[in-house]
Amino acid sequence: MIIDILAGAVRGGTSIMYAGLGETISERGGVINLGTEGAMLLGALGGYAVTAETGNPWLGVLGGALAGALLSLVHAVLVVSRRANQFASGLTLYFLALGVTSLFGVSYVSRQINAFTPVPVPGLSEIPGLGPILFDHDPLVYVAYVAAPVIWWVLFRTRVGLLVRTAGERSEALEVNGYSVRAVRYCATVAGGALAGIGGAHISIAYANSWFENMIAGRGFIAVALVIFAMWNPVRIMAGAYLFGAALSLASVLQTSGIAVNQFALNAVPFVLTLVVLAILGRRTMLAAPDELLKVFDNSRTT
Amino acid sequence: MSQEVTKEAPASAAAAPPAEPPRRVRVRGAALLRWVGALIAGLVVFGAFVLANGADPFAVYADIWTSTLTQPGQFQQIVLRAAPIALAGLAVVVPARAGLVNVGGEGQLIIGGVAAAGVALWLTPVASPWLIMLLMILAAMAAGAAWAGIAAAMRLVVKVNEAVTTLLLNYVALYSMLFLILGPWKDPAALGQSTSVELNDAMKLPVFAGTAIHVGVALAVVAAGAVWFALTRTTWGFRLSVVGGNAEAARRAGLPVVTLLLTALLLGGALAGLAGFIQFAGMEYKLRPTFGLTIGYVAFLASWLSRHKPLPLLLASLVLAAIAVSGNSLQIGSGLPAASVNILMGLVLLAVLGWTGPRKVRS
Repeated sequence: MIIDILAGAVRGGTSIMYAGLGETISERGGVINLGTEGAMLLGALGGYAVTAETGNPWLGVLGGALAGALLSLVHAVLVVSRRANQFASGLTLYFLALGVTSLFGVSYVSRQINAFTPVPVPGLSEIPGLGPILFDHDPLVYVAYVAAPVIWWVLFRTRVGLLVRTAGERSEALEVNGYSVRAVRYCATVAGGALAGIGGAHISIAYANSWFENMIAGRGFIAVALVIFAMWNPVRIMAGAYLFGAALSLASVLQTSGIAVNQFALNAVPFVLTLVVLAILGRRTMLAAPDELLKVFDNSRTT
Repeated sequence: MSQEVTKEAPASAAAAPPAEPPRRVRVRGAALLRWVGALIAGLVVFGAFVLANGADPFAVYADIWTSTLTQPGQFQQIVLRAAPIALAGLAVVVPARAGLVNVGGEGQLIIGGVAAAGVALWLTPVASPWLIMLLMILAAMAAGAAWAGIAAAMRLVVKVNEAVTTLLLNYVALYSMLFLILGPWKDPAALGQSTSVELNDAMKLPVFAGTAIHVGVALAVVAAGAVWFALTRTTWGFRLSVVGGNAEAARRAGLPVVTLLLTALLLGGALAGLAGFIQFAGMEYKLRPTFGLTIGYVAFLASWLSRHKPLPLLLASLVLAAIAVSGNSLQIGSGLPAASVNILMGLVLLAVLGWTGPRKVRS
């Protein structure tokens, strides 16, 4: 049963991880995107629709990424070019995505697709314990293993990462050196949305293998909170995402093993867990927040 | 003030080029224009979405028009929908004055409804209806305030932004309610969908004679007036906007910033809780899985559309309520899901956010 929960943690945490990684990039560049939830929703439907039409889940991943990127592009236009309030824009985009996916999703409800299936890694999946937990999953899980360290490397060890982080810490420094803060923030936000879209696609074409209205159910908001206590660090995002995956998989594992627990009490667990972790660690981790982001957090413009 | 300006205008107009209209009129005109523009932009893009989905946008709009705005009973439906939106919108307005973003109207409203339902459930056999109604109001407001209080505490003590925590709390509230209505509070007589036991007739909010409008609507209007007064005519309201303008300057000036932020969020939560009460005792009478669904989010949009001003908020609530009501006829008439109209609401606010640059709140 422990192995089931841990394997479920990896599977269920993957979508949150993609979204959290994306949000990390965006926030490192100084833009918080509450629309992550909406980008995941669009990604889930986009991924599902493309997979249903083409029969190829990899094209579905691409479709999900595009859908998420598109929504975040709107966010970038509003908050970077038009300097709209970041929270208001993000939440409005979530609401918009909710409507768009329910309008276009109707025809995909209960439609069968050629979803991702688990691909055991030869050799590694035979390891007792560790094998089923880590190496018997769909391909997107494996991609995520690589994505987190790669994004860490890009953010902290490359010139591109330096530009993104400078946009979030001290945007004047970019201007002084002849770079465009706007361009950097556009790229960071759109890249973040694309990753959130992939996270959404993971849910619809690899995790649940179906589409239904509002299927993300708050995972995108958890990802936004996760970024805070992961201290804007992709590797910590990985650990945190699996923690939430565990909270999510607890419900299904308990149910299949016949232990009677109210399902909704269990559904609340990841959200309560997030709030508790934030309450305990928030004060310390907020010290790691990018400076320009703190300006957004501290005293949000209200118009 | 503006009257003096208009009186003086003709005298100076003789020498100078035609006098510009007084500032306030200009601002109002621009605001109205922006509104109309946003609505049209929203309608056009939404029409494109409808078209892409294979329906005829003109038929859909004609359908919405006839079924929503020309039927006699529908206006009352819109007003009934608008009341909790307005109250939950005030829950965004008040904290926004202090620079806080309360995205938790949804959860605060649900918890308010749950508290009201709980009071009704426990006290119906033992207390008089009027006492129970009073206690329902108090419990709903206290519960909403407490729910917002969690976010306030996390903002003030742990410094985690309230937008993030209130969003998470929305889900906790929703699942708590679902836990109750599918568990301990489940009505054994309910067929199909699980609900709580229906509120006793004696405790349902009374309606104005000859209409379907319940007194909760009046409550919402009074609350908007009271919030307007508190924000624009009291020291507290003035101090709130100082904090919202520049918290650091307010702190240096010796204002009790922590208390102000706390009271703003608590009052906001209480207003959303009150919205939950009128939704419960005036509209739905029982908790069901869709209780109060998206009212909190729509209210957030309404508050931003009205630039966090209580009286325009009433108008914004009516407009959004009309769109929401039209969603139902959309579902019946064109077979499009009712939630499609969320697109229209979202688009209108996006247009408003995109067209107005950053400006300070003025009252």
